[in-house]
Amino acid sequence: MAFNGIGGFLNSPGMIPWEIVVIYFIVAGVFAIIYGRSHGAGPKFNTVDLVYIGVGAAFTTVWEFFVGPFLDKFVPAGAAAYIGFGFFGRILIVLIVAGLVRKVGTGMLSLFIFNLLGDIFHYGFSGEPIYTIYETLTYGLFIDLMIAITHGHLFGIGSGEENEDATGKAVKGNRLTNFLSKYTMVAPAVMGGVIGFLWAIPDNILYTGFFSPFLYGGIVNWQSIIFSFGASIPGNIVFGIIAAFIAVRVSKVLGQ
Amino acid sequence: MEMNYLLNELISWLIFLFGIAGPFYLILRAIGIRGFKEITSYEPHTTFFYRMNPLVKIVFSMTVMIAATITIWWIGAILTFAVLLTYLSLRNGGRKLYLGGLFAISTIIGTAWGYAPFATSATLSIAFPGYHPTILWTWPSYFSVMGYEPQLTLQALLYGLQISFRTAAIISSALLLVMTNTPSQILRSLHKFNIPDSIIFTLMVGMKSIPDIFGYLDESIKIQMMRGLGSSHSRLFKPVYMLIAGVSAIVPTIIHLLRGAKDIAISADTRGFRATKKRSYVDEIPITRLDYYALGMMGFIIAVAVISIFLGFGRTIPYVA
Repeated sequence: MAFNGIGGFLNSPGMIPWEIVVIYFIVAGVFAIIYGRSHGAGPKFNTVDLVYIGVGAAFTTVWEFFVGPFLDKFVPAGAAAYIGFGFFGRILIVLIVAGLVRKVGTGMLSLFIFNLLGDIFHYGFSGEPIYTIYETLTYGLFIDLMIAITHGHLFGIGSGEENEDATGKAVKGNRLTNFLSKYTMVAPAVMGGVIGFLWAIPDNILYTGFFSPFLYGGIVNWQSIIFSFGASIPGNIVFGIIAAFIAVRVSKVLGQ
Repeated sequence: MEMNYLLNELISWLIFLFGIAGPFYLILRAIGIRGFKEITSYEPHTTFFYRMNPLVKIVFSMTVMIAATITIWWIGAILTFAVLLTYLSLRNGGRKLYLGGLFAISTIIGTAWGYAPFATSATLSIAFPGYHPTILWTWPSYFSVMGYEPQLTLQALLYGLQISFRTAAIISSALLLVMTNTPSQILRSLHKFNIPDSIIFTLMVGMKSIPDIFGYLDESIKIQMMRGLGSSHSRLFKPVYMLIAGVSAIVPTIIHLLRGAKDIAISADTRGFRATKKRSYVDEIPITRLDYYALGMMGFIIAVAVISIFLGFGRTIPYVA
């Protein structure tokens, strides 16, 4: 009997070599810590941030495990590769929370808590800790990278304020905030689209290509991997863009 | 012949609708939001579950999970019913058993139905060595549009039950913890593991929000229906409009929840949350003799699970996602 539902198969035909996966996760983990430290992870999460992340993770759990599967039943099987309501909901909710908190670590902590809640309410810790590590350092890390690159102005949120002084008079901001506050329509669309695209990678390639055979001997079929990856890209990008604009609106409503 | 054909169509659709609507009827009508609140919130009482250490109860739900995961489906079923019966010892136990039972039934039907008609013979032949399908029902051919396999087999149903009883057993034991401890008691006991306060706090906020989210989503859907969404169409389309309302409920619900986040944060901060590195406690939560008995009981459950695996009642069914 394998440990906690983890089969540990390493040589299924066509599987992504485990060395690559291990190197990815080590590099991703180290990078997340170092880059996060040097790029504005300095501000620690305050209590409101933690509540935002907890509520977002709870909502994602409700959506992905209770509501989404029900909606997905109404999607015809032929279109199922293109449309996944459960997953679209995850993009939307996590991006809204990321837009509100905008500190490096938001994405990873959100996915971490979401995984724990998913285990408590649905999966029952089977296959852990593999799933938590996998989702935290892929989905979560991608968002944190975007936050780090934009120096905490994910989707351009808050970049306008840095270009004003306390009285609201325009001052000269730095190059990044100038750029972001100038392109208020383009910046969220591009960032949301990029995150949507990145989010198509883990489940379709890393999971089916490595974790599914590793955990329970799933069969690797690169043709179907390429197809489902390609098929999920348009929907993910569209939803990423929509989610980015909603995140901008929500952060305005909540006065962040 | 013609008659048989019609009958087959009719019964197929009835089964189909039952699988989708049954769980939702149970959740929305029979249990209702008020019922969900009852089985997910704490009420003070003094019977043994209330005196047990929260950590021991967490270990208990993990034990149930492990036992239900590694054994055949009917052991999971026995565990589910045994755990549900212990609800009788809780405050207002009969009512809790009734609600918890309905919730378990809706979970079992909903989850099993989410897998059984879609389980391919490729999956099932991995799951059942020497797979000989026992056909229970043949769907009309156009059901394949919904992703249904051409036939519903006994093995597919067992595959669904294997997955659903694992879920049901975990949910019913996880609810025990939520019903007999306040979130702050759980938080305090997790603190013993040196898990950072911030993570425990975030997790507790999440756990506490999940029942509320159901309530808010339901409210938002009802308000949209009240304002006349889909009222110009036949009542037959009502479920479709409820789905539309469900999707448009996401953003208002999340804004409402996140607004509340500030209040939670302020009240946590005013009570000195994370003000000092180490927390101090007014009342310690001890581990008593009762907890040792409970741990013994869990050891017994695991032993029975291991023995049943050796007797050939282990889980042979992989969870192919």
